Amino acid sequence: MMKAIKDFVGQFRASIALDKRLIVKKKNRYYLLSEKLKKQIQQDFFYAGVYLGKLKGSIFFPSFLLLTMMAEGKANKIVVDRKTAWLFICGRDIFKQGILEADGSRKGDYTLILNEHNECLGFGKILRNIRKEQDPNKVVVKNILDIGDFLRREKQQSRQR
Amino acid sequence: MSSKEFFVNRYKELGWTYKELQPKPSIRINTMNSDRDDVVNRLESLGVTLEKIPFLEDGYWISKSEFSVGATAEYLLGLYSIQEAAAQIPATLFTELQDKTVLDACASPGGKTVQLANLLNNSGVIVALDIKRRRLFPLSNQLERSRVRNTIVYQMDAREASRLNMKFDRVLLDVPCSGNYVTDKDWFSRRSLKDVERNARRQRQILTEAVNVTKDNGEIVYATCSLEPEENELNIDWAIGTLNLQVEEIKCHGEKGLTNVFGRELDSSIEKCKRIWPGQTQGFFLCKLRKQACG
Repeated sequence: MMKAIKDFVGQFRASIALDKRLIVKKKNRYYLLSEKLKKQIQQDFFYAGVYLGKLKGSIFFPSFLLLTMMAEGKANKIVVDRKTAWLFICGRDIFKQGILEADGSRKGDYTLILNEHNECLGFGKILRNIRKEQDPNKVVVKNILDIGDFLRREKQQSRQR
Repeated sequence: MSSKEFFVNRYKELGWTYKELQPKPSIRINTMNSDRDDVVNRLESLGVTLEKIPFLEDGYWISKSEFSVGATAEYLLGLYSIQEAAAQIPATLFTELQDKTVLDACASPGGKTVQLANLLNNSGVIVALDIKRRRLFPLSNQLERSRVRNTIVYQMDAREASRLNMKFDRVLLDVPCSGNYVTDKDWFSRRSLKDVERNARRQRQILTEAVNVTKDNGEIVYATCSLEPEENELNIDWAIGTLNLQVEEIKCHGEKGLTNVFGRELDSSIEKCKRIWPGQTQGFFLCKLRKQACG
């Protein structure tokens, strides 16, 4: 369990301290509890504490809370301008011209995407070396997950109702 | 007599004249994640005109917006929630929430759960229940989006909360109710007095169970968005007589609770409750109860 999370976090050249004792699993989903929640929680819970993400097969799908925790420490991060941030939330990839700052830029790595307020909007995969890329119109980061996902989930849930 | 005439006549008998109203959209800023002024500035820079709701600390009406405020980055980042103004009141009626153990007995879709987490500043423990599994998904999404960290969600009927084997300092009962016509344009054609009475019975069952899981001297906030006295003052009158509960004074928007309902005299302490007739907000009823210590 911890390995899946650690391996995922490692792909951002990041590390976060998670207390193994406080992590609980429900089906394929992982949650981080406080000591107080740990004392009160019962087996048949549906959601608890900080949702960390879910494991599907061997692939770990992070929660936005986990990405936010990662963004608080050292990790690959890209800060994008306002327009790019909005397009990213709408599911679009990131062009070189929309990047304001990049901390970690190696092709093939994962990177967190932050807006101008340093708030984490999701993550993507670096397709081209960001520092070396000269063409402003080239896609340099592929969108993997963005906070627009909350809206997509809402739509999906209202269709199921 | 049509269903509408029946209910409108009842409201008149209770001292209020029916009027057509449109609900005003409103938001509540999640101050655990953001600075209030910062969020206001960010929304205004997007072209949203906000009006401070005078009776709420973190509430704003949306006076003008060219787009849905449920589709901004700020919303998706959990910096604010979309919550009707009257619905923002119940969670604020508790005293000393920090580090407390709180039950949100009928929690989905989670607006008030997030507000409680905000008021607790993510401390303590919130247990959020909902009877229907499909309603737990939007609740969980709200918790993740709003970066809530102190809540455990169970699929459970509030009438079976004793199964948790827990005692709570504070219990929020935003009970399932008949609603009101402001938020449901077909309300009058869909509702009958029978529905109201059925809901009132279920609400009394929930109240009874809430008392079982509340610590001595603990607080219960009972709220409905119904205008019907059977679900409000009459239920509280029953609870005072049956469940050893005491009505507490609350200071918030609204008029005094009714102590005479269709000629029936109720416990005088019910005037400490608040009845909000539709106007600035949708209709609402609020009551804060204290479980008296045994012996």
